[in-house]
Order: sequence, then structure tokens, then C-alpha cells
Amino acid sequence: MSEAYSQPGRLRPAPENFLDDQQITEVKAGRRDFLRSSLLAASAAMLAPLTARAAEGDANILNLPEWSTTSGKSVADRPYGSPSKYESQVLRREPRGLTPLSGNSASFAPLQSLFGIITPSGLHYERHHQGWQDIDPARHRLMINASNPAFIKQAKVFTMDDLMRLPPVSRIHFLECGGNTGTEWGNPLVPTVQYTHGLLSCSEFTGVPLRLLLENCGVDFKKARYVLAEGADGAALTRTIPMELIESDEVLVAYGQNGEMLRPENGYPLRLIVPGVQGVSWVKWLRRIEVGDQPYGTREETLGYIDLLPDGTHRQYSSIQECKSVITSPSGGQSLLSKGFFNVTGLAWSGRGKIKQVDVSFDGGRNWKTARLDKLVLDKALTRFNIDWVWTGQPAILQSRAIDETGYVQPAYRQLREVRGSQSIYHNNAIQSWEVLPSGEVNNVQTI
Amino acid sequence: MSRLSEALLCSALLGMSLSASAADEYADIGRAATPAEIKAWDIDVRPDFLGLPAGSGSVAQGKQVFLAKCAACHGPAGESNTMFTPLIGGTTAEDIATGKVASLSAGPTRDRTVFMKLPTLSTLFDYIQRAMPWTQPKSLTPDEVYGVMAYLLNLAQIVPADFTLSNSNMAEVQALLPNRNGMTTDHGLWAGAPASKGGMGNGGKPDVQAEACMKDCAAEVKLGSPVPPPIFKAIGNPAEQNRSYGAIQGTPLSSN
Repeated sequence: MSEAYSQPGRLRPAPENFLDDQQITEVKAGRRDFLRSSLLAASAAMLAPLTARAAEGDANILNLPEWSTTSGKSVADRPYGSPSKYESQVLRREPRGLTPLSGNSASFAPLQSLFGIITPSGLHYERHHQGWQDIDPARHRLMINASNPAFIKQAKVFTMDDLMRLPPVSRIHFLECGGNTGTEWGNPLVPTVQYTHGLLSCSEFTGVPLRLLLENCGVDFKKARYVLAEGADGAALTRTIPMELIESDEVLVAYGQNGEMLRPENGYPLRLIVPGVQGVSWVKWLRRIEVGDQPYGTREETLGYIDLLPDGTHRQYSSIQECKSVITSPSGGQSLLSKGFFNVTGLAWSGRGKIKQVDVSFDGGRNWKTARLDKLVLDKALTRFNIDWVWTGQPAILQSRAIDETGYVQPAYRQLREVRGSQSIYHNNAIQSWEVLPSGEVNNVQTI
Repeated sequence: MSRLSEALLCSALLGMSLSASAADEYADIGRAATPAEIKAWDIDVRPDFLGLPAGSGSVAQGKQVFLAKCAACHGPAGESNTMFTPLIGGTTAEDIATGKVASLSAGPTRDRTVFMKLPTLSTLFDYIQRAMPWTQPKSLTPDEVYGVMAYLLNLAQIVPADFTLSNSNMAEVQALLPNRNGMTTDHGLWAGAPASKGGMGNGGKPDVQAEACMKDCAAEVKLGSPVPPPIFKAIGNPAEQNRSYGAIQGTPLSSN
């Protein structure tokens, strides 16, 4: 093995098919250290025959595989495509025991397995307050009215036909639950990035600016400074949105997501898009918009989505998702299979605008290096960063720290807790630490 | 008239007519909502009680409804944490006097009950009416909602057992809520206008200030407590939650 590790910067991939069916069963049964010991065995086993077969080469090259020697499947064999059968591990997941009612729960996006900045629609995180519905678009209506008839010339009803006639805009934005990373306020509580940060997704959304609809109804923008958005689901979830975000044309009434209609779990056929603001305000299955002159004090603004401070006061109407980042690979629950070169990659985002810079530390925050931003740096969207790293086999603590265009710097846990304590649940945007052990195992830790 | 001013006038007229015609085109889209339609959907109740329907319900009437339709999840006295956060508990007579629940500042608490947090009585009416009971949302009459609320307020020792809650005394009960003074909007996370301009909050000023130190930033790095071992089983086997190929793969779950 020392031979394999002797060239710093060399990537030694896992031996292909190094587990047989029996061994895979054992891995699934949860035998600790099995992966590593079988890797060693596989490598050792490969070494001997390899010397003999070295002249011949790789069996996967020498013996043509079946996909090269048979005819392939027909076009439109699967009229709606789906991922390869080899990608079955890439799923959104609900941790066991998160809530006793699966309709009042959340599933987390598999950030550890995703590339770029767009979340495939089928992997978009879910948070439902009364389960999800698959609404008949022909029967769906959007009503716009006012808390006071004087605030609107004409309360109106729009069908999907109506809304889809209007000039659409498409924009890429992140969507993060206010409770994302909520488990980590006090201590590291969940082991993997899917569960620490997976209430996060990013899509291209298509729809109509809400401003256009409010103007169409003749809303008095001077008097009506707040908007109530209401869902058509059982919870009829409501949140207050500031009129300023609507006047800036940022808020969309959207039907499209990543080039197709919204998925039912994401609000089909209509949802609100409120860039930079926590997910609960992006009301799904949107049925009604009310304009008014006061905030509404809804359940999700009084009993949930309120941030507890050390003095026992709760922050109400906290909405903006502040600048944050996380390394998605390597991350908790993963193992580096060799020493040598790795590309460390992750996501950064800010509810206040674009990402300006991401720095990465390999020594627990003592020293930092600026990472590459992967070209597409958009307003209130996920930004992909990466940086090269040669792992020597020594323990390391990986962190990322984002800075947005306002100059705001993502804080360390110590800095965040000094102001907000550790009971907030919501809006945890602290720097995440991943500890790499000499074995290659990566664990969720916090520096204090 | 010079050619230039003629051209300017022309383009100004053209601009006006364009925007007017665009508005006209959109005006055909959508239709007027009828009063009955608005009544059917506009069920929200604001903190100033705008939208509150007329009606009333006593503690005794509410108890009947609660035991039949709510207790299966919330427990007969709103105490259960089996399905949801408990409704009742954690508040004192002192809290009712001050309007701020003292135990919220006591550090980690197992549960924060509804009455420990609730700042606005309107919210309770609004939410029960739109979303409860879980299996039949929007099925309760206004009188049933008033009754259920009266029962809960009595369980929370805010109103006596012979109390009847109605649209006419909601404001009086609001003044007794244990956490009515427990909220603040003085922060930078509201995305609209600040309080100084008629909105809420401080206009987006962050409360946490960090600096982007690049070299020799921390003297030593100390780690806090690790992830509790029982959690690993709850989240499953990372080896099955990562691709089975590549330089970085899932770590198999420990068997312990």
C-alpha cells in the first residue's frame, strides 16, 4: 500500500467491482471497517495477478463488455427518462424518527452526490406542513384580493390558462428551509451533509412577476405594503411577504421548474418564488394572494420559524437566508479511499445577492485559501466552488467560508452563538467543519 | 416645431400608446372575483382581529369538540408530545402578568409548547380554522373553533372553567396571553422596509459580524462533542447513500 501512496497528488481510484455480492451484503449489514479491509484485500489480490496479466491489460478492455457487443434499447423506451440503475443511491431521504407524521415532515436533498448548481427536480428537498397534493391544473385558481376593498380596484380570479398567457420570466434561485442546519445549533447532531444541509435546492423557475398581477388588479401600492400568500393544501399555509420584494419584480408566481412544470411535491401547478427568503415563504399550491397594510401573524410566523434568543425573546418575521456555504465532498459519512490528490467542492449562497468569494481551510480555520468559483455566479442562487487538495494522510479539518457581495462574511459557530445562543433552531449559517481521520473517514465536527 | 422636438413628441406619444395597449391586453386576463368566492377563501384572521367571524363557544362546549376531534393527537389535556409539540404547559401566572414566558430564557428546554410561544390570539383562531383537525382541515364551524380555543385557554389557566370565548372578547383575552410580549422584529432578517420607514426591523443590518482572516487565525483548534452514536442508526448507512464508485465513497455504518 505504501507504494500506492508514495506519489503525492496521484489519484488511486477504488478497484472496480472490488466487492462481490456476498461482500456487498456484509457492507449493507453494517460491518465496520469492512470497506477498508476489503479494499486492502482487493488491492493485494489485484497486485499478484496484475504482474502476470500486466502485459495483457485490463479485462474490461480486453474482453469487450456486453454494451459494446449487443444492440441497445429503443428510443422512447422510457418516455420520461430516469437515472441509470447504477445511481440508485442518489435519493432524497427522510431521517427515521424525524416526526411521527410523514405528512408533517421533511426530506433532504443528497448534496453529497450532486454537481453544479441545479438540483434535479426529483431530488429537490421537501417540507410539507400537511402532506403534498397533486392538484388538477384545470381546477386550480389563484385569487387576488385585499384586506380592505379600498386597496384594490378589482379582486380577481386567474386560471392556469390565464397565468400562462402572460409574458413569462425564468430565473435561477436557491431555496433553503429556514430550519436547514437546525440540528447543529448546539452540537454536531447528524453525521452527513445530506442531513446537515440538505434542506437546500436550486432550480430555474418560470412564471409571472407578481407585480404584474397586482397591477392588473389595480392594487394601491402606497397603502398595501404587505402581501399574504396562501396555499391550497390542507394546511392552507400562509406567510407575510413584504411589498418591496414584489415591487422589485423578484417575486414570481411560478409554474415552471427546470424546464417542465413544477413537481407536485414542489407545489404543482403554482407556487410563489421569493428569492433570498426562507423556503416557507415560497408558498406551494398557491391559491390566494391578499394585499394589506399589516403583517399577518400566521402560525408560521408565531409558533414556527421564530428564532429563540438567549434572553427568551423570539425573533419574528425573520426571513432572509444569510450568506452560507458547505463543502459537499468530501463530507461527513464519506471516506477518502487513498492519499493524494482530491478536488474539494461545495456550495455557497446568500439571500442578499451574489457570492463574491469562498475560502477553504484544511486546518480547522487557522489558515485559508481562496477557492475557484465555478463560472455561473448568480444573484440569490447556489454557487459551486472547488479547490485542489493533496491529502498526506494526516488528520485534517475542512471548512468553507463564503463572503457575499455586501461584504458579509459567513460566521464561525462561536461568533454566531455569541449573538444568538444555541436554541434558535432557525437560520444557522455557521461555518461547517468536516474532520478527516488518518483512516480516510470524514466526520461531522464543530470547532469551539 | 423643430424636427428634433417633433421626433421627441412622436416617440413620447408612441411610448404612451404602447404602455396603454400593453395594459389593455393584460386587462382581459383574469376575471372579477365574486363576493361569494372571496368569502369562501378569504378566511385569514389578522392580529388586529380583522377577518374574525362572529360566534362564540364555551370551555365545556370546546371540551366536547376537542375530545372528539383533537385529543387523539394532542392528548385530552393538550399535553401530548406524541404527534406534535404539546399545546399546554410551561407557563405560569407570573408569565400571564408580565406577558413574557420566563422559562424560555432558561436554556435548553425539551419542548416549547404552543402557549409558551403564542404572541397573538388571532393566530390560534386562524390556524385551527384553516388547518385543523389534521384529517379534516377546514371542517370546524366558527363556534367550534371558539369553543376549542376556550377549552385550551382554560387548560392553560388563562380563563376560568365557565368562560365563553367570542369575537367580542378576543381582545381582552389577548391581553392575558403569557407570551404576548415575547416577540421582537428588531433584527436584520426582514426583507422589506425597516421600522424607521414604516416597515419592520433594522433594514437588513446583520447581527453577526465576522472577518475574513486568511493566515494564523486561531491559536488552537478544539473540537466539541461528537455526533451521538444512536443518530447513526436513525439516518442509515452512508455506504448506501453515496455512489459506489469514485475517489470518495460512503463510509459503511458501524454495527455498534
